[in-house]
Amino acid sequence: MKIVTAIAWGGVMSAACLSMSAASAQSCSVPVLKVLAQKSLGLTVMEKTLAEYEKKNGTKVQISYFGENDRRSKARLDASTRAGSYQIYYIDEANVAEFATAGWVVPLLKYLPKDADYEDFLPGRRAVASYKGVAYFAPLIGGSDFLFYRRDLLEKAGIAVPKTLDELVAAVKKLNNPPNVYGWAARGQRGSGMNVWRWAPFMLAAGGKWENNGVPTFNSPQAVKATTLYRELFKYSPPGGATYDWSNALEAFRSGKVAFMIESTPFADWMEDPKKSSVVDKVGYVRPPSPLPSAAYGHGLAISATGAKDECTRQAAGKFIAWATGKEQEQARLKDNVFSDYNRSSTIASEYFRKHVKPQIQAGLTDTTPVSRVTIWPSPEWPDIGDNLGVVLEEVFTGTRGDVQSALDEANEYATEVMQRAQKRK
Amino acid sequence: MPYTIRKKRHTWLPAVFLTLPLLVLLILGLVPSIAAINLALQNRVLRYSDSEYVGFANFLRLFGDRRFLNAVQVSAIWEVVTVAGSLIVGVLLAVFLFERIRGRARDLLALLLIVPVLLPRVSAAFIWKFMYSPLMGILNWLLECVGLGGTALLSDPATALYAVALVDIWQWGLFFGTVILKLLETLPTEPLEAARLDYAGTLQVYAYIALPMLKVPIMSLVFIKMVESLRSFDLIYVMTKGGPGIATETLDMYAYAQGIGLMGKVSYASSMAVLMMLATTIIFTLLWKRVAKWEN
Amino acid sequence: MTRGLGAVATTAVTTLIVLAALFPILWAVLNSFKELMDIVTPVPRFFFSPTLANYQQVLASPEVLTGLGNSVAIVGLAVLAGAVLGVPAAYAIARYPIPAKKDIQFFLLSLRFLPPVAVAIPLISIWIDLGLYDSRLSMVVTYLLVTLSTIIWLSIPAFARIPKEIEEAAALDGYSPYQVFWHVALPVASKTLMGGIVFSFVLVWNELMIALALTSSKSMTLPVVASAFTSMGQEVPWGVVNASTVLLALPPLLFVGILGRLLNSMLKHK
Repeated sequence: MKIVTAIAWGGVMSAACLSMSAASAQSCSVPVLKVLAQKSLGLTVMEKTLAEYEKKNGTKVQISYFGENDRRSKARLDASTRAGSYQIYYIDEANVAEFATAGWVVPLLKYLPKDADYEDFLPGRRAVASYKGVAYFAPLIGGSDFLFYRRDLLEKAGIAVPKTLDELVAAVKKLNNPPNVYGWAARGQRGSGMNVWRWAPFMLAAGGKWENNGVPTFNSPQAVKATTLYRELFKYSPPGGATYDWSNALEAFRSGKVAFMIESTPFADWMEDPKKSSVVDKVGYVRPPSPLPSAAYGHGLAISATGAKDECTRQAAGKFIAWATGKEQEQARLKDNVFSDYNRSSTIASEYFRKHVKPQIQAGLTDTTPVSRVTIWPSPEWPDIGDNLGVVLEEVFTGTRGDVQSALDEANEYATEVMQRAQKRK
Repeated sequence: MPYTIRKKRHTWLPAVFLTLPLLVLLILGLVPSIAAINLALQNRVLRYSDSEYVGFANFLRLFGDRRFLNAVQVSAIWEVVTVAGSLIVGVLLAVFLFERIRGRARDLLALLLIVPVLLPRVSAAFIWKFMYSPLMGILNWLLECVGLGGTALLSDPATALYAVALVDIWQWGLFFGTVILKLLETLPTEPLEAARLDYAGTLQVYAYIALPMLKVPIMSLVFIKMVESLRSFDLIYVMTKGGPGIATETLDMYAYAQGIGLMGKVSYASSMAVLMMLATTIIFTLLWKRVAKWEN
Repeated sequence: MTRGLGAVATTAVTTLIVLAALFPILWAVLNSFKELMDIVTPVPRFFFSPTLANYQQVLASPEVLTGLGNSVAIVGLAVLAGAVLGVPAAYAIARYPIPAKKDIQFFLLSLRFLPPVAVAIPLISIWIDLGLYDSRLSMVVTYLLVTLSTIIWLSIPAFARIPKEIEEAAALDGYSPYQVFWHVALPVASKTLMGGIVFSFVLVWNELMIALALTSSKSMTLPVVASAFTSMGQEVPWGVVNASTVLLALPPLLFVGILGRLLNSMLKHK
């Protein structure tokens, strides 16, 4: 009798335990999710429907905004000191490698709900959001490259849209007519995401390579040729052009002072904004002239490893990320007149997009998306190497340094040391 | 001076007034400093969770680092230009206001001169960056009106540092004007009146009487400004990011970029900071002893 | 004396000074009411159709109010504590024979020789260990180093310049040392002391690096919030930057104005 009672009790207890754990799995609730972010148009749109999301999911979402550079510093500090104040980080393609290898962010796909449809994101976005084939963030904003050109100026001068780099250079020289119009504007300011970003396609197009089995090789003769060309083009850009950041280049083009520019695709929408642009309907968009690749980039939301410690929090974070970057949100952005923050193939193919985005932009997108690729060196050491390279490049562009080969040699040597030190620590 | 017999009462006042503040400062000052030195002796990089002690390896690396050596030079120039500039502007303004403007107008102007320094550094940097902009800035437009246009002050390696320094002097020099003016107002009027009867020019009254009387407070202001100029980061970062090239990259900019902004090489950045602290201590000690002799 | 020329020259120089001080700010105020297109033109526009959109954007962000509240609380407390502890300490140093007086003064200055980047990481670790990360208290204590050392440093000359005779007279009248401090030294030196206090306020109000490192969503200060308005996902939003500049400069302006009034009324009483 006692044994039977014992077994019965055991059965009851284990049943109770099982049901309790099942119940706790279902009732796993996350009261607050904190997001470390920088302001973007997409996030501003998302905030409009955030209250609904919070009510539906029983989770309050607090977003802290920082300036771009502060955002990077803060994310690094928060993760490395294990402060873990934020569950979700806004990261960009330059930091993915660093954050992934340091274990500061977790692989994303595991925590996205099934209907997130990650494959819907454009191939270029998915490429930059991954490290060694594993996806870490879901894109909020991103793009690749357009060759922006002034249709009216080209027509007036009877020049065809340049399809090759040589044609582009010739056209730049022809249309250069200071001080009314300058032929070219580009980023010259130092920074791995600044002048290096724009210089990389030139180097790759000339046949240069970042590395060979982990050994940096961007001081090759091809790279020197590319750098010399890039420097040469500054002769045809507005005064101070050699230290332009992307905002300066954009403003210069948008105020009608520049004929050609290779820049990121989201800018197209801002060119056509009558409240800010003097060149509405005068701009054409095509893929960068061959052999220049189209540089893919992306920023998005990732899950912090230290901030979101347990599976429950990570699931909640993944759910939020999926919602914030989901199809509905992308449509909401379009309906809110934000035509620069799209990342999904379905968005581009959607009816609203087709109807409201200027045909020339759509044509350009179709043109450039197939040739978009990662053009930076996807290594954890990239910010360091890129920043150093950016410094010598700016020196070359502003004329502080005359000899391109020695400049690139120096940057390459620095990169070699960095890689060696990283090897030793593995 | 007549010899006065004073009954010196023993009082606990110094102990009461000094113990707590000095203790607080000692703790607040030493703890981070020791931690920073500790960090400089390791090879901590934020990306890696472990680190080990490497002795003076970081310091040795610094001396072969071209950007570090450049940063030291840039910082030194920045220091001299901003401190001297602020002092000169402040003195000239204070003398002018004290001499030529009276009453409410003077108080109003004094208040106006404080406004620039109250702006967030980042905001002031943006305002001026915009004004300097060759295509869109008003400064260039004004220069073009008088036929001197086409300048890109922030993009020219020769002028960039001074263009940024101007903003710092704009903020602090004007503030110093007000502070020194208030100091001038606290001076007793008799010596100045007497001097005016003896000397011909007003400038001489100030140069030989008024300002020397304010030697001590002005020097203490200068020292504070020197310490403050070491923190040029916000201004330079917004306006040039350290460029063109490394023409405006000061030590605290380079240290920040290496430590937190870019790469997380905190030990390397810490060693730079420690060196900076040592150098500053030595230089300031020498200056301090000089000034102390001057006072006596 | 060429009085006429003197007056003209005075007015000219005064105008120049006012322009130099205010023009950039007025230009910022003007630009804060402009649409972006009116701002980024080669020829500056003085006539345009104004908009309040920039201010709306700044004020609509809840973090501005949070940042403002935090800054006022943190900086206010740090300055207050610095003054309460620092002014008497400066008096003691200035007026009493203290061993190693000059060295103490140098020590005060040296506290700020270390760049923030070196102390950011250690400070974060310390505050996390103490459980006070991202709290106003940790910020007040961290800033106290700056305010206390600065106020002591700048107050010492203020007290040193008081004529000894005044204090001796009071002592002869039977004032205790503490009463001499409170009733005699303080009022006489108050003007200069105020300058030192305002100085330390200015130093800490706009501090960015340590605030960025030590604060998160709860205790972020105004400079951190201000920097968020400089990159909004598009090109530099000059209009919003200008609007945020104007708004963020107002509280310290008010503070200084109030302080000035306070000082004047205090002086009138004595």
